[in-house]
Amino acid sequence: MVQLQRVGKVYRLGPVRIQALADVSFRVGKGEFAILTGPSGAGKTTLLRLLYREEVPSEGEIQVAGFDVTALRRAEVPMLRRAIGIVFQDAKLLPGRTAYENIAFGLRVLGVPRREITPRVFQALKAVGLSARAQALPAQLSLGEQQRVALARALAKEPALLLADEPTGSLDEAVSLEVLDLFHQIWQRGTTILLATHSRTLASQLKRRTLVLESGRLVKDEGG
Amino acid sequence: MLGFLLGETVRDLRRAGRVGVSAVFLITLSLAALGCFWLLSLNLGRAVAEWRERLRVIAYLKAEPPPEAVAPLLKRIEALGGIQRLRYVDKREALATLKRELGSQAGVVDQLPSNPLPASVEVTPARDAATPEATRALVQRLMELPEVEEVQGGTEWVERLAQWQRLLGGIGLGVGGVLALAAILTVTTATTLVLHVKRAEMEIMRLVGATEAVIRVPLLLQGLLQGLLGAVMALGSLWLAYTVALPRLEPLLTLTLGLQRASFLSPLEVVLLLGGGGLLGAFGGLLARGRGPA
Ligand SMILES: Nc1ncnc2c1ncn2[C@@H]1O[C@H](COP(=O)(O)OP(=O)(O)O)[C@@H](O)[C@H]1O
Ligand SMILES: [Mg+2]
Repeated sequence: MVQLQRVGKVYRLGPVRIQALADVSFRVGKGEFAILTGPSGAGKTTLLRLLYREEVPSEGEIQVAGFDVTALRRAEVPMLRRAIGIVFQDAKLLPGRTAYENIAFGLRVLGVPRREITPRVFQALKAVGLSARAQALPAQLSLGEQQRVALARALAKEPALLLADEPTGSLDEAVSLEVLDLFHQIWQRGTTILLATHSRTLASQLKRRTLVLESGRLVKDEGG
Repeated sequence: MLGFLLGETVRDLRRAGRVGVSAVFLITLSLAALGCFWLLSLNLGRAVAEWRERLRVIAYLKAEPPPEAVAPLLKRIEALGGIQRLRYVDKREALATLKRELGSQAGVVDQLPSNPLPASVEVTPARDAATPEATRALVQRLMELPEVEEVQGGTEWVERLAQWQRLLGGIGLGVGGVLALAAILTVTTATTLVLHVKRAEMEIMRLVGATEAVIRVPLLLQGLLQGLLGAVMALGSLWLAYTVALPRLEPLLTLTLGLQRASFLSPLEVVLLLGGGGLLGAFGGLLARGRGPA
Protein backbone atom coordinates (compact mmCIF):
# COMPACT_ATOMS: atom_id res chain seq x y z
CA MET A 1 0.00 0.00 0.00
CA VAL A 2 2.85 2.38 0.92
CA GLN A 3 6.41 1.91 -0.14
CA LEU A 4 9.39 4.24 0.21
CA GLN A 5 12.85 3.62 -1.20
CA ARG A 6 15.75 5.76 -0.01
CA VAL A 7 13.58 8.82 0.24
CA GLY A 8 15.18 12.14 1.10
CA LYS A 9 13.68 15.58 1.43
CA VAL A 10 15.58 18.83 1.61
CA TYR A 11 13.85 22.16 2.20
CA ARG A 12 15.65 25.19 0.92
CA LEU A 13 15.11 28.47 2.68
CA GLY A 14 17.28 30.76 0.63
CA PRO A 15 20.85 29.62 1.27
CA VAL A 16 19.81 27.34 4.16
CA ARG A 17 19.31 23.64 3.47
CA ILE A 18 17.15 21.72 5.91
CA GLN A 19 17.43 17.98 5.60
CA ALA A 20 13.96 16.97 6.79
CA LEU A 21 14.25 13.34 5.69
CA ALA A 22 17.25 11.23 4.73
CA ASP A 23 17.46 7.75 3.30
CA VAL A 24 14.06 6.59 4.52
CA SER A 25 12.90 3.17 3.28
CA PHE A 26 9.99 1.10 4.54
CA ARG A 27 6.87 -0.63 3.40
CA VAL A 28 3.38 -0.70 4.88
CA GLY A 29 1.29 -3.59 3.59
CA LYS A 30 -2.38 -3.59 2.75
CA GLY A 31 -4.51 -3.80 5.92
CA GLU A 32 -1.67 -2.78 8.24
CA PHE A 33 -1.92 -0.26 11.07
CA ALA A 34 1.42 1.51 11.46
CA ILE A 35 2.42 4.26 13.86
CA LEU A 36 4.95 6.89 12.84
CA THR A 37 6.58 8.45 15.86
CA GLY A 38 9.55 10.52 16.91
CA PRO A 39 10.23 13.87 18.55
CA SER A 40 8.92 17.13 17.21
CA GLY A 41 10.84 18.14 14.09
CA ALA A 42 11.81 14.56 13.25
CA GLY A 43 10.11 14.71 9.86
CA LYS A 44 6.77 12.94 10.45
CA THR A 45 4.61 15.62 8.86
CA THR A 46 7.01 15.94 5.96
CA LEU A 47 6.84 12.22 5.35
CA LEU A 48 3.04 12.20 5.28
CA ARG A 49 3.00 15.23 2.96
CA LEU A 50 5.21 13.32 0.55
CA LEU A 51 2.73 10.45 0.56
CA TYR A 52 -0.21 12.57 -0.57
CA ARG A 53 1.95 14.63 -2.87
CA GLU A 54 1.73 17.92 -1.04
CA GLU A 55 5.53 17.88 -1.34
CA VAL A 56 7.81 16.10 -3.78
CA PRO A 57 10.83 14.15 -2.48
CA SER A 58 14.33 15.42 -3.25
CA GLU A 59 15.39 11.84 -3.87
CA GLY A 60 14.05 8.31 -3.75
CA GLU A 61 10.92 6.54 -4.91
CA ILE A 62 7.44 6.52 -3.37
CA GLN A 63 4.53 4.25 -4.19
CA VAL A 64 1.10 4.76 -2.62
CA ALA A 65 -2.06 2.77 -3.36
CA GLY A 66 -0.73 1.70 -6.74
CA PHE A 67 0.40 5.20 -7.76
CA ASP A 68 4.00 6.00 -8.53
CA VAL A 69 3.84 9.23 -6.53
CA THR A 70 7.21 10.57 -7.67
CA ALA A 71 6.25 10.30 -11.34
CA LEU A 72 2.72 11.67 -10.93
CA ARG A 73 1.86 14.64 -13.10
CA ARG A 74 0.04 17.54 -11.47
CA ALA A 75 -3.24 16.72 -13.21
CA GLU A 76 -3.08 13.19 -11.81
CA VAL A 77 -2.69 14.27 -8.18
CA PRO A 78 -6.48 14.33 -7.57
CA MET A 79 -6.62 10.64 -8.50
CA LEU A 80 -4.07 9.82 -5.80
CA ARG A 81 -5.86 11.98 -3.24
CA ARG A 82 -9.13 10.18 -3.88
CA ALA A 83 -7.55 6.96 -2.71
CA ILE A 84 -6.33 8.55 0.53
CA GLY A 85 -8.24 9.83 3.56
CA ILE A 86 -6.38 12.46 5.59
CA VAL A 87 -6.96 13.87 9.06
CA PHE A 88 -4.91 16.47 10.89
CA GLN A 89 -4.49 17.83 14.38
CA ASP A 90 -7.15 20.44 13.62
CA ALA A 91 -10.36 19.14 12.12
CA LYS A 92 -10.42 21.68 9.24
CA LEU A 93 -14.22 21.79 9.21
CA LEU A 94 -15.99 24.51 7.27
CA PRO A 95 -17.55 26.72 9.96
CA GLY A 96 -20.69 27.66 8.05
CA ARG A 97 -21.75 24.10 7.35
CA THR A 98 -23.24 21.40 9.56
CA ALA A 99 -21.50 18.12 10.31
CA TYR A 100 -23.62 16.49 7.64
CA GLU A 101 -22.82 19.19 5.07
CA ASN A 102 -19.11 19.07 5.85
CA ILE A 103 -19.00 15.37 5.10
CA ALA A 104 -21.28 15.70 2.07
CA PHE A 105 -19.08 18.52 0.72
CA GLY A 106 -16.12 16.14 0.54
CA LEU A 107 -18.20 13.81 -1.61
CA ARG A 108 -19.91 16.38 -3.80
CA VAL A 109 -16.66 17.91 -4.99
CA LEU A 110 -15.70 14.45 -6.22
CA GLY A 111 -18.84 14.19 -8.30
CA VAL A 112 -20.46 11.47 -6.21
CA PRO A 113 -24.10 11.19 -7.37
CA ARG A 114 -26.59 12.94 -5.10
CA ARG A 115 -28.60 9.84 -4.17
CA GLU A 116 -25.44 8.09 -2.98
CA ILE A 117 -24.36 10.97 -0.78
CA THR A 118 -26.96 10.78 2.00
CA PRO A 119 -26.50 7.07 2.76
CA ARG A 120 -22.74 7.39 2.66
CA VAL A 121 -22.69 10.43 4.94
CA PHE A 122 -24.90 8.70 7.50
CA GLN A 123 -22.84 5.55 7.32
CA ALA A 124 -19.71 7.58 8.01
CA LEU A 125 -21.38 9.45 10.86
CA LYS A 126 -22.47 6.13 12.35
CA ALA A 127 -18.95 4.76 12.07
CA VAL A 128 -17.67 7.60 14.26
CA GLY A 129 -20.69 7.46 16.58
CA LEU A 130 -22.08 10.88 15.71
CA SER A 131 -25.37 10.04 13.95
CA ALA A 132 -27.28 12.21 16.41
CA ARG A 133 -25.15 15.31 15.73
CA ALA A 134 -25.58 15.45 11.95
CA GLN A 135 -27.22 18.88 12.01
CA ALA A 136 -24.80 20.51 14.45
CA LEU A 137 -22.45 23.27 13.31
CA PRO A 138 -18.75 22.82 14.12
CA ALA A 139 -18.94 25.54 16.79
CA GLN A 140 -21.61 23.50 18.57
CA LEU A 141 -19.38 20.42 18.71
CA SER A 142 -16.62 19.59 21.19
CA LEU A 143 -13.07 19.28 19.84
CA GLY A 144 -13.33 15.49 20.05
CA GLU A 145 -16.60 15.53 18.13
CA GLN A 146 -15.10 17.87 15.53
CA GLN A 147 -12.20 15.49 15.06
CA ARG A 148 -14.68 12.64 14.62
CA VAL A 149 -16.53 14.58 11.90
CA ALA A 150 -13.20 15.09 10.15
CA LEU A 151 -12.59 11.38 10.42
CA ALA A 152 -16.06 10.68 9.01
CA ARG A 153 -15.32 13.04 6.10
CA ALA A 154 -12.13 11.11 5.36
CA LEU A 155 -13.95 7.78 5.62
CA ALA A 156 -16.99 8.71 3.54
CA LYS A 157 -15.01 8.46 0.32
CA GLU A 158 -14.00 4.92 1.32
CA PRO A 159 -10.23 5.40 1.06
CA ALA A 160 -7.84 2.50 0.75
CA LEU A 161 -5.37 4.34 2.98
CA LEU A 162 -6.00 6.60 5.96
CA LEU A 163 -3.26 9.07 6.94
CA ALA A 164 -3.43 10.85 10.28
CA ASP A 165 -1.04 13.60 11.42
CA GLU A 166 -1.24 14.08 15.22
CA PRO A 167 -5.00 13.43 15.18
CA THR A 168 -5.18 13.61 18.98
CA GLY A 169 -2.83 16.57 19.32
CA SER A 170 -5.55 18.95 20.49
CA LEU A 171 -7.47 16.48 22.64
CA ASP A 172 -7.20 15.60 26.32
CA GLU A 173 -6.22 12.09 27.24
CA ALA A 174 -9.67 10.54 27.70
CA VAL A 175 -10.96 11.92 24.39
CA SER A 176 -7.70 10.93 22.70
CA LEU A 177 -8.26 7.34 23.72
CA GLU A 178 -11.80 7.44 22.32
CA VAL A 179 -10.56 8.73 19.00
CA LEU A 180 -7.75 6.16 18.90
CA ASP A 181 -10.33 3.49 19.58
CA LEU A 182 -12.19 4.70 16.49
CA PHE A 183 -9.03 4.34 14.41
CA HIS A 184 -8.77 0.83 15.72
CA GLN A 185 -12.33 0.02 14.65
CA ILE A 186 -11.75 1.53 11.22
CA TRP A 187 -8.61 -0.56 10.83
CA GLN A 188 -10.51 -3.69 11.82
CA ARG A 189 -12.96 -3.04 9.01
CA GLY A 190 -10.08 -3.22 6.53
CA THR A 191 -8.60 0.28 6.04
CA THR A 192 -4.82 0.60 5.99
CA ILE A 193 -3.71 3.27 8.47
CA LEU A 194 -0.53 5.30 8.96
CA LEU A 195 -0.79 7.49 12.06
CA ALA A 196 1.84 10.02 13.07
CA THR A 197 2.23 11.11 16.68
CA HIS A 198 5.09 12.55 18.70
CA SER A 199 3.70 10.95 21.86
CA ARG A 200 5.56 7.76 22.71
CA THR A 201 2.96 6.83 25.32
CA LEU A 202 0.19 6.96 22.74
CA ALA A 203 2.31 4.97 20.33
CA SER A 204 2.97 2.28 22.89
CA GLN A 205 -0.67 2.17 23.99
CA LEU A 206 -1.75 1.25 20.48
CA LYS A 207 0.48 -1.83 20.48
CA ARG A 208 1.01 -1.80 16.73
CA ARG A 209 3.97 -1.65 14.42
CA THR A 210 5.91 1.50 15.20
CA LEU A 211 8.30 3.36 12.91
CA VAL A 212 10.54 5.77 14.78
CA LEU A 213 12.02 8.82 13.05
CA GLU A 214 14.85 10.86 14.48
CA SER A 215 16.30 13.89 12.70
CA GLY A 216 14.84 12.67 9.44
CA ARG A 217 16.16 9.12 9.67
CA LEU A 218 14.26 5.93 10.33
CA VAL A 219 15.95 4.58 13.47
CA LYS A 220 13.55 1.87 14.56
CA ASP A 221 10.86 -0.32 13.04
CA GLU A 222 9.37 -2.61 15.62
CA GLY A 223 6.28 -4.60 16.54
CA GLY A 224 3.29 -5.21 14.28
CA MET B 1 -22.11 17.80 -10.13
CA LEU B 2 -23.72 20.57 -12.15
CA GLY B 3 -25.99 21.35 -9.22
CA PHE B 4 -22.97 21.53 -6.95
CA LEU B 5 -21.06 23.83 -9.32
CA LEU B 6 -24.03 26.18 -9.69
CA GLY B 7 -24.66 26.19 -5.95
CA GLU B 8 -21.04 27.10 -5.32
CA THR B 9 -21.25 29.79 -8.00
CA VAL B 10 -24.16 31.48 -6.24
CA ARG B 11 -22.33 31.17 -2.92
CA ASP B 12 -19.21 32.76 -4.47
CA LEU B 13 -21.26 35.52 -6.01
CA ARG B 14 -22.69 36.37 -2.60
CA ARG B 15 -19.23 36.24 -1.09
CA ALA B 16 -17.94 38.72 -3.68
CA GLY B 17 -20.31 41.09 -1.87
CA ARG B 18 -19.80 44.80 -2.26
CA VAL B 19 -16.75 44.50 -4.49
CA GLY B 20 -18.82 42.24 -6.73
CA VAL B 21 -21.51 44.91 -6.88
CA SER B 22 -18.98 47.58 -7.89
CA ALA B 23 -17.62 45.21 -10.50
CA VAL B 24 -21.11 44.84 -11.95
CA PHE B 25 -21.52 48.63 -11.95
CA LEU B 26 -18.21 49.19 -13.67
CA ILE B 27 -19.10 46.69 -16.35
CA THR B 28 -22.45 48.43 -16.74
CA LEU B 29 -20.67 51.76 -17.09
CA SER B 30 -18.06 50.54 -19.58
CA LEU B 31 -20.56 48.76 -21.79
CA ALA B 32 -23.05 51.64 -21.60
CA ALA B 33 -20.33 54.08 -22.70
CA LEU B 34 -19.24 51.74 -25.45
CA GLY B 35 -22.84 51.15 -26.52
CA CYS B 36 -23.68 54.86 -26.44
CA PHE B 37 -20.84 55.84 -28.76
CA TRP B 38 -21.54 52.80 -30.85
CA LEU B 39 -25.18 53.87 -31.24
CA LEU B 40 -24.16 57.42 -32.24
CA SER B 41 -21.54 56.20 -34.65
CA LEU B 42 -23.98 53.69 -36.10
CA ASN B 43 -26.61 56.30 -36.90
CA LEU B 44 -24.06 58.77 -38.18
CA GLY B 45 -22.72 56.01 -40.39
CA ARG B 46 -26.17 55.43 -41.83
CA ALA B 47 -26.50 59.14 -42.55
CA VAL B 48 -23.14 59.16 -44.31
CA ALA B 49 -24.08 56.16 -46.41
CA GLU B 50 -27.38 57.76 -47.35
CA TRP B 51 -25.71 61.00 -48.31
CA ARG B 52 -23.10 59.22 -50.35
CA GLU B 53 -25.96 57.55 -52.17
CA ARG B 54 -27.65 60.86 -52.86
CA LEU B 55 -24.51 62.65 -53.92
CA ARG B 56 -24.66 64.25 -57.37
CA VAL B 57 -22.25 66.25 -59.44
CA ILE B 58 -24.00 68.49 -61.94
CA ALA B 59 -22.27 69.67 -65.09
CA TYR B 60 -24.03 72.71 -66.65
CA LEU B 61 -23.63 72.93 -70.38
CA LYS B 62 -22.75 76.11 -72.32
CA ALA B 63 -25.53 75.49 -74.81
CA GLU B 64 -28.26 72.95 -75.29
CA PRO B 65 -26.80 70.35 -77.68
CA PRO B 66 -28.88 69.22 -80.66
CA PRO B 67 -30.73 65.94 -79.89
CA GLU B 68 -28.37 63.79 -81.98
CA ALA B 69 -25.33 65.14 -80.07
CA VAL B 70 -26.63 64.14 -76.62
CA ALA B 71 -25.79 60.43 -76.77
CA PRO B 72 -22.16 60.94 -77.94
CA LEU B 73 -21.66 63.59 -75.22
CA LEU B 74 -22.94 61.22 -72.52
CA LYS B 75 -20.66 58.52 -73.87
CA ARG B 76 -17.65 60.81 -73.62
CA ILE B 77 -18.57 61.73 -70.05
CA GLU B 78 -19.04 58.09 -69.13
CA ALA B 79 -15.56 57.39 -70.49
CA LEU B 80 -14.13 59.66 -67.78
CA GLY B 81 -14.63 56.75 -65.36
CA GLY B 82 -15.76 56.49 -61.75
CA ILE B 83 -19.38 57.06 -62.72
CA GLN B 84 -22.39 55.07 -61.60
CA ARG B 85 -25.25 56.84 -63.41
CA LEU B 86 -25.74 59.69 -65.89
CA ARG B 87 -28.84 61.65 -66.68
CA TYR B 88 -29.24 64.35 -69.27
CA VAL B 89 -31.57 67.20 -68.30
CA ASP B 90 -32.61 69.50 -71.12
CA LYS B 91 -33.73 73.14 -70.70
CA ARG B 92 -37.44 72.20 -70.74
CA GLU B 93 -37.11 69.63 -68.02
CA ALA B 94 -35.02 72.00 -65.90
CA LEU B 95 -37.75 74.60 -66.15
CA ALA B 96 -40.47 72.07 -65.34
CA THR B 97 -38.58 70.98 -62.26
CA LEU B 98 -38.16 74.57 -61.14
CA LYS B 99 -41.88 75.16 -61.59
CA ARG B 100 -42.68 72.13 -59.51
CA GLU B 101 -40.38 73.32 -56.78
CA LEU B 102 -41.88 76.79 -56.76
CA GLY B 103 -45.40 75.36 -56.41
CA SER B 104 -47.96 78.15 -56.03
CA GLN B 105 -45.47 80.73 -57.18
CA ALA B 106 -44.85 78.90 -60.46
CA GLY B 107 -46.62 81.70 -62.34
CA VAL B 108 -43.47 83.83 -62.03
CA VAL B 109 -41.70 81.50 -64.41
CA ASP B 110 -44.32 82.03 -67.09
CA GLN B 111 -43.53 85.77 -67.09
CA LEU B 112 -40.00 85.05 -68.31
CA PRO B 113 -39.41 85.95 -71.98
CA SER B 114 -37.21 82.92 -72.53
CA ASN B 115 -35.98 79.84 -70.60
CA PRO B 116 -32.90 81.04 -68.65
CA LEU B 117 -32.00 77.61 -67.30
CA PRO B 118 -29.08 75.75 -68.89
CA ALA B 119 -29.19 72.13 -69.95
CA SER B 120 -27.16 69.88 -67.66
CA VAL B 121 -25.88 66.40 -67.03
CA GLU B 122 -26.43 64.87 -63.57
CA VAL B 123 -23.56 62.62 -62.68
CA THR B 124 -23.79 60.08 -59.82
CA PRO B 125 -20.28 58.97 -58.87
CA ALA B 126 -19.67 55.25 -58.54
CA ARG B 127 -19.98 54.14 -54.91
CA ASP B 128 -16.29 53.32 -54.59
CA ALA B 129 -15.36 56.63 -56.17
CA ALA B 130 -17.39 58.77 -53.75
CA THR B 131 -14.30 59.92 -51.86
CA PRO B 132 -13.35 63.60 -51.78
CA GLU B 133 -10.24 63.06 -53.91
CA ALA B 134 -12.03 60.98 -56.56
CA THR B 135 -14.90 63.48 -56.70
CA ARG B 136 -12.52 66.41 -57.03
CA ALA B 137 -10.79 64.62 -59.88
CA LEU B 138 -14.12 63.92 -61.55
CA VAL B 139 -15.12 67.59 -61.27
CA GLN B 140 -11.77 68.58 -62.77
CA ARG B 141 -12.22 66.26 -65.74
CA LEU B 142 -15.77 67.42 -66.34
CA MET B 143 -14.58 71.07 -66.40
CA GLU B 144 -12.12 70.20 -69.12
CA LEU B 145 -14.89 69.18 -71.50
CA PRO B 146 -15.48 71.99 -74.05
CA GLU B 147 -19.31 71.73 -73.72
CA VAL B 148 -19.23 72.27 -69.99
CA GLU B 149 -19.71 75.75 -68.54
CA GLU B 150 -19.65 75.04 -64.83
CA VAL B 151 -19.59 72.09 -62.46
CA GLN B 152 -21.35 71.97 -59.10
CA GLY B 153 -21.19 69.46 -56.30
CA GLY B 154 -18.74 67.96 -53.92
CA THR B 155 -18.36 65.68 -51.00
CA GLU B 156 -16.44 67.73 -48.48
CA TRP B 157 -19.12 67.99 -45.85
CA VAL B 158 -20.19 64.36 -46.19
CA GLU B 159 -16.58 63.46 -45.57
CA ARG B 160 -16.48 65.70 -42.56
CA LEU B 161 -19.50 63.79 -41.26
CA ALA B 162 -17.70 60.52 -41.91
CA GLN B 163 -14.71 61.85 -39.98
CA TRP B 164 -16.97 62.65 -37.06
CA GLN B 165 -18.34 59.17 -37.23
CA ARG B 166 -14.86 57.65 -37.10
CA LEU B 167 -13.90 59.99 -34.27
CA LEU B 168 -16.96 59.01 -32.25
CA GLY B 169 -16.25 55.33 -32.87
CA GLY B 170 -12.67 55.85 -31.72
CA ILE B 171 -13.68 57.75 -28.58
CA GLY B 172 -16.21 55.02 -27.83
CA LEU B 173 -13.59 52.32 -28.14
CA GLY B 174 -11.12 54.32 -26.07
CA VAL B 175 -13.47 55.22 -23.23
CA GLY B 176 -15.11 51.78 -23.32
CA GLY B 177 -11.70 50.11 -23.37
CA VAL B 178 -10.38 51.99 -20.35
CA LEU B 179 -13.57 51.31 -18.42
CA ALA B 180 -13.51 47.67 -19.51
CA LEU B 181 -9.98 47.36 -18.14
CA ALA B 182 -11.12 48.84 -14.84
CA ALA B 183 -14.05 46.44 -14.89
CA ILE B 184 -11.82 43.40 -15.42
CA LEU B 185 -9.59 44.51 -12.56
CA THR B 186 -12.58 44.95 -10.28
CA VAL B 187 -13.93 41.50 -11.13
CA THR B 188 -10.44 40.18 -10.43
CA THR B 189 -10.41 41.94 -7.07
CA ALA B 190 -13.86 40.59 -6.26
CA THR B 191 -12.78 37.09 -7.23
CA THR B 192 -9.55 37.35 -5.26
CA LEU B 193 -11.68 38.30 -2.29
CA VAL B 194 -13.81 35.22 -2.89
CA LEU B 195 -10.64 33.14 -3.16
CA HIS B 196 -9.52 34.51 0.17
CA VAL B 197 -12.82 33.79 1.86
CA LYS B 198 -13.02 30.28 0.47
CA ARG B 199 -9.40 29.25 0.90
CA ALA B 200 -10.36 26.80 3.66
CA GLU B 201 -12.86 25.26 1.30
CA MET B 202 -10.34 25.06 -1.52
CA GLU B 203 -7.85 23.40 0.81
CA ILE B 204 -10.43 20.71 1.62
CA MET B 205 -11.30 20.31 -2.05
CA ARG B 206 -7.66 19.76 -2.96
CA LEU B 207 -7.10 17.39 -0.05
CA VAL B 208 -9.99 15.10 -0.89
CA GLY B 209 -8.98 15.05 -4.54
CA ALA B 210 -11.26 17.47 -6.40
CA THR B 211 -9.93 18.36 -9.84
CA GLU B 212 -8.73 21.90 -10.54
CA ALA B 213 -11.67 22.31 -12.92
CA VAL B 214 -14.18 21.72 -10.13
CA ILE B 215 -12.31 24.22 -7.99
CA ARG B 216 -12.05 26.93 -10.67
CA VAL B 217 -15.36 26.64 -12.54
CA PRO B 218 -17.52 28.31 -9.86
CA LEU B 219 -15.06 31.22 -9.76
CA LEU B 220 -15.17 31.55 -13.52
CA LEU B 221 -18.96 31.37 -13.52
CA GLN B 222 -19.39 33.98 -10.82
CA GLY B 223 -17.16 36.32 -12.87
CA LEU B 224 -19.15 35.54 -15.98
CA LEU B 225 -22.41 36.24 -14.16
CA GLN B 226 -21.08 39.58 -12.90
CA GLY B 227 -20.23 40.45 -16.50
CA LEU B 228 -23.58 39.35 -17.91
CA LEU B 229 -25.46 41.22 -15.20
CA GLY B 230 -23.48 44.36 -16.05
CA ALA B 231 -24.18 43.94 -19.76
CA VAL B 232 -27.92 43.50 -19.19
CA MET B 233 -27.98 46.62 -17.06
CA ALA B 234 -25.99 48.57 -19.67
CA LEU B 235 -28.37 47.49 -22.44
CA GLY B 236 -31.35 48.35 -20.26
CA SER B 237 -30.11 51.86 -19.57
CA LEU B 238 -29.15 52.40 -23.22
CA TRP B 239 -32.60 51.31 -24.33
CA LEU B 240 -34.20 53.56 -21.74
CA ALA B 241 -32.11 56.55 -22.83
CA TYR B 242 -32.87 55.76 -26.45
CA THR B 243 -36.64 55.60 -26.03
CA VAL B 244 -36.78 58.68 -23.82
CA ALA B 245 -34.51 60.83 -25.98
CA LEU B 246 -35.68 59.66 -29.39
CA PRO B 247 -38.98 61.57 -29.78
CA ARG B 248 -37.11 64.77 -28.92
CA LEU B 249 -34.15 64.04 -31.16
CA GLU B 250 -35.77 62.68 -34.28
CA PRO B 251 -36.96 65.99 -35.79
CA LEU B 252 -33.47 67.37 -35.21
CA LEU B 253 -31.96 64.35 -36.90
CA THR B 254 -34.13 64.80 -39.94
CA LEU B 255 -33.18 68.44 -40.14
CA THR B 256 -29.43 68.06 -39.70
CA LEU B 257 -28.59 64.61 -40.97
CA GLY B 258 -31.53 63.91 -43.24
CA LEU B 259 -32.21 60.68 -41.37
CA GLN B 260 -35.89 59.80 -41.11
CA ARG B 261 -35.44 57.40 -38.22
CA ALA B 262 -32.71 56.69 -35.72
CA SER B 263 -32.13 53.01 -35.07
CA PHE B 264 -31.11 50.98 -32.02
CA LEU B 265 -28.45 48.30 -31.94
CA SER B 266 -29.34 45.27 -34.05
CA PRO B 267 -30.04 41.93 -32.33
CA LEU B 268 -26.57 40.76 -33.35
CA GLU B 269 -24.99 43.84 -31.81
CA VAL B 270 -27.02 43.31 -28.64
CA VAL B 271 -25.74 39.73 -28.45
CA LEU B 272 -22.19 41.01 -29.05
CA LEU B 273 -22.53 43.47 -26.18
CA LEU B 274 -23.87 40.75 -23.88
CA GLY B 275 -21.08 38.41 -24.95
CA GLY B 276 -18.56 41.18 -24.35
CA GLY B 277 -19.87 41.63 -20.81
CA GLY B 278 -19.72 37.92 -20.10
CA LEU B 279 -16.21 37.76 -21.50
CA LEU B 280 -15.03 40.71 -19.37
CA GLY B 281 -16.40 39.03 -16.24
CA ALA B 282 -15.09 35.57 -17.03
CA PHE B 283 -11.69 37.03 -17.82
CA GLY B 284 -11.65 38.87 -14.50
CA GLY B 285 -12.61 35.65 -12.72
CA LEU B 286 -9.88 33.77 -14.54
CA LEU B 287 -7.20 36.33 -13.71
CA ALA B 288 -7.73 36.03 -9.97
CA ARG B 289 -5.00 34.04 -8.33
CA GLY B 290 -5.08 32.95 -4.75
CA ARG B 291 -2.80 30.36 -3.32
CA GLY B 292 -2.45 27.90 -6.17
CA PRO B 293 -2.24 24.13 -5.90
CA ALA B 294 0.83 22.74 -4.21
N1 LIG C 1 7.81 24.01 4.52
C1 LIG C 1 8.97 23.89 5.18
N2 LIG C 1 10.01 24.68 4.85
C2 LIG C 1 11.19 24.56 5.48
N3 LIG C 1 11.43 23.70 6.46
C3 LIG C 1 10.45 22.87 6.84
C4 LIG C 1 9.16 22.94 6.22
N4 LIG C 1 8.38 22.00 6.80
C5 LIG C 1 9.13 21.39 7.73
N5 LIG C 1 10.37 21.91 7.76
C6 LIG C 1 11.48 21.45 8.62
O1 LIG C 1 11.66 20.07 8.40
C7 LIG C 1 11.91 19.41 9.62
C8 LIG C 1 10.85 18.34 9.85
O2 LIG C 1 9.63 18.96 10.14
P1 LIG C 1 8.27 18.16 10.27
O3 LIG C 1 8.15 17.24 9.15
O4 LIG C 1 7.17 19.14 10.49
O5 LIG C 1 8.51 17.35 11.61
P2 LIG C 1 7.47 16.72 12.62
O6 LIG C 1 6.14 16.63 11.96
O7 LIG C 1 8.05 15.39 12.94
O8 LIG C 1 7.44 17.61 13.82
C9 LIG C 1 11.93 20.48 10.69
O9 LIG C 1 13.30 20.85 10.91
C10 LIG C 1 11.16 21.60 10.07
O10 LIG C 1 11.61 22.83 10.58
MG1 LIG D 1 4.25 17.36 12.55
